Amino acid sequence: MRRRRRLQQEDGISFEYHRYPELREALVSVWLQCTAISRIYTVGRSFEGRELLVIELSDNPGVHEPGEPEFKYIGNMHGNEAVGRELLIFLAQYLCNEYQKGNETIVKLIHNTRIHIMPSLNPDGFEKAASQPGELKDWFVGRSNAQGIDLNRNFPDLDRIVYINEKEGGPNNHLLKNLKKIVDQNAKLAPETKAVIHWIMDIPFVLSANLHGGDLVANYPYDETRSGSAHEYSSCPDDAIFQSLARAYSSFNPSMSDPNRPPCRKNDDDSSFVDGTTNGAAWYSVPGGMQDFNYLSSNCFEITMELSCEKFPPEETLKTYWEDNKNSLISYLEQVHRGVKGFVRDLQGKPIANATISVEGIDHDVTSAKDGDYWRLLVPGNYKLTASAPGYLAITKKVAVPYSPAVGVDFELESFSERKEEEKEELMEWWKMMSETLNF
Amino acid sequence: MGFLWTGTWILVLVVHSSPIQAFPKPEGSQDKLVHNRELSAERPLNEQIAEAESDKIKNIYSPENKPGESNYSFVDNLNLLKAITEKEKIEKERQSVRNSPYDNKLNMEDVDSTKNRRLIDDYDSTKSGLDHKFQDDPDGLHQLDGTPLTAEDIVQKIATRIYEENDRGVFDKIVSKLLNLGLITESQAHTLEDEVAEVLQKLISKEANSYEEKPNKPTSKTESQSGKIPEKVIPMAAIQDGFANGENDETVSNTLTLTNGLERRTKTYSEDNFEELQYFPNFYALLKSIDSEKEAKEKETLITIMKTLIDFVKMMVKYGTISPEEGVSYLENLDETIALQTKNKLEKNVTDNKSKLFSAPSMKSHEETDSTKEEAAKMEKEYGTLKDSTKDDNPRGKTDEPKGKTEAYLEAIRKNIEWLKKHNTRGNKEDYDLSKMKDFINQQTEAYVEKGILDKEEADAIKRIYSSL
Repeated sequence: MRRRRRLQQEDGISFEYHRYPELREALVSVWLQCTAISRIYTVGRSFEGRELLVIELSDNPGVHEPGEPEFKYIGNMHGNEAVGRELLIFLAQYLCNEYQKGNETIVKLIHNTRIHIMPSLNPDGFEKAASQPGELKDWFVGRSNAQGIDLNRNFPDLDRIVYINEKEGGPNNHLLKNLKKIVDQNAKLAPETKAVIHWIMDIPFVLSANLHGGDLVANYPYDETRSGSAHEYSSCPDDAIFQSLARAYSSFNPSMSDPNRPPCRKNDDDSSFVDGTTNGAAWYSVPGGMQDFNYLSSNCFEITMELSCEKFPPEETLKTYWEDNKNSLISYLEQVHRGVKGFVRDLQGKPIANATISVEGIDHDVTSAKDGDYWRLLVPGNYKLTASAPGYLAITKKVAVPYSPAVGVDFELESFSERKEEEKEELMEWWKMMSETLNF
Repeated sequence: MGFLWTGTWILVLVVHSSPIQAFPKPEGSQDKLVHNRELSAERPLNEQIAEAESDKIKNIYSPENKPGESNYSFVDNLNLLKAITEKEKIEKERQSVRNSPYDNKLNMEDVDSTKNRRLIDDYDSTKSGLDHKFQDDPDGLHQLDGTPLTAEDIVQKIATRIYEENDRGVFDKIVSKLLNLGLITESQAHTLEDEVAEVLQKLISKEANSYEEKPNKPTSKTESQSGKIPEKVIPMAAIQDGFANGENDETVSNTLTLTNGLERRTKTYSEDNFEELQYFPNFYALLKSIDSEKEAKEKETLITIMKTLIDFVKMMVKYGTISPEEGVSYLENLDETIALQTKNKLEKNVTDNKSKLFSAPSMKSHEETDSTKEEAAKMEKEYGTLKDSTKDDNPRGKTDEPKGKTEAYLEAIRKNIEWLKKHNTRGNKEDYDLSKMKDFINQQTEAYVEKGILDKEEADAIKRIYSSL
């Protein structure tokens, strides 16, 4: 249904549903207004050929500044879960407006973070959902992509692999490394899924959120139960920080964090919800989801936000949803600046990419990016961090981590050959000295 | 290697035998290394290296899904083979998937884009315009009921034309054309002239229409000469034959002979060279309405455009890209659209006196001039653009989407410029340079069009807005 465009509703944000053309226009408008700090790009096309558009906000758009963490928001991967899509459009406009007004929090965020916003991962599904007549939308129409694939069950199931590795030994991170080629050749992967996987491989994302609808909770890894049962709390090694991140979102959303809120539907089981957050598997088991895929294939920590009891609520409610989520969205963005961050370099000062940074007591490592930069989200506490790389001697450092901001810790690694050379020299020196002393 | 081992032995011996003498260390800060050696390098260096290397080997050959696979290299080869065959399969699939989404995309754009919506609407309004033409246009080549003219009618029309325009030249043009096309002989031309003169005289004297019974002879002769011409549609046939014969060279020479004929004229219009003008009454009327010297250039441009268009159509017919009928109907539609556009422009000038932020009416006329100029490039594109701008001028008011979008973009750009100006008065970055900004915008919009983020249309609109700043 075509509606007359309502212009200038509160700072250029019009609280109405955006179909694909309007979505594109809205992003273009943000770019036009904030050309200095924004850039639009596409990670690929949906099955029906719609661009999977992303708007990037940063003080140097298009460029990864060494040491600057990368963040992403993805909405509407289920096409009929519409609130996330709209919120992300509003967010882009809001960040641009606030930046130009000189809002310190926003200015700081944009200068120190590279923010990527993808309002819709499933534009085809959305069109289907939105094309339904009347305001009451079906629970399923438009959920999957144009091929009928549920994108949030379509990712390679790395949970199962990590559960095996926990028992039998094996890597605790970047489980996709050996499978990359096979992902490209896997016919079962939807084009949208493939596009996201490539996106994740390309950009060293640190923190991410995946916006859904149909309930009201912030959901964190793991999503799939260890035992295979229907519900079972299945914590990941970073359970502590994930709970903290989830709370950072839910606590600013009044309805999400309302302890007296009744469940969305009378018979819903929300026994696993605590302060508006839940472990994914404790709620219900989800295999092949994007959230866990992020955590197990890359350095990115991702949380799934369920933003509305109704998946595709009436347009008039969008403004309220924005008010309810605005602060949460910003608060969650700020979480990327926590824990420990820094550079791993060699003794000559050259960056070492793909170095491993492990934390004693947490069975999940992260790796350094191309410029040797790394970011390790951690809850406050005392930690021992070890940086290592093939051919280099590992170094461990003790770090005390506050709530925020992130503590800077750099590593200069000595390569084996360098050490060998040193030791050789040492011995040569000793031999020389000995021979002079003992006269042989 | 052996030396080092030997050295280590001696070192151990020496240390044991003389504990007092501390082992001399070479210079350089070793504190960190010693400290770390405690935590991470506890074992001798070589052992550590050996372990690391064996780990590496293990990792390279570690099986992907099944731990415990013994023959690692075999699994690797198998997987590679599988991968290759699957890859070929997938490539083919991907090809078709790539193609169909692309096709679908085009379809989707048809459904989604407002531009195509306008085309559909435009097409409708043009159709109704054609009806409009039949009713109002006496100079057209059809009667009121739509039937084509007879030869007598033609004579009558020619005479009427001459009378109305008070210009003999009309007749000359028509006759020259017919002569050049070989449709009539010289003697027939003279006969025709006589007939027309006669009718003209009657008109002048009586100021009333009457049909003459003369032109059977020339008509039948015309028919016998080129058997293809259907009986009733002579002028149409004339045009059609003109196109079908593809005698563009003749047209050129025709122009030259006409130039000589110019001397007979009392008034000299530049459009006199344009002998096909007779077939475009609305265009001709439009040209007439542009009288002032100031717009003489515009007049010339319009004529050039029309000429180019007509030549283009002829070329297309000559090479068989379109049929003569299609060519004729295209040009008829063109003329019709001009009529409509002119009419609407007049209406719009009367009703629309508001000046908007960037004076939208002038922007629109700017657009019209732009689109008029661009017409010379491609036939279909011009046709589409014409239809678009006709729709734009529709006083009913566009649907709000395209209007809203342009306004939204305008607003966004305005805010950007404002912010840039304000931001740079503080002198933070390099001085705000509008031309640099324009270049950047041009570059980016082009890139966005390539990537499918912007329509060509939108990109042009944005560039236009920036260039008008």
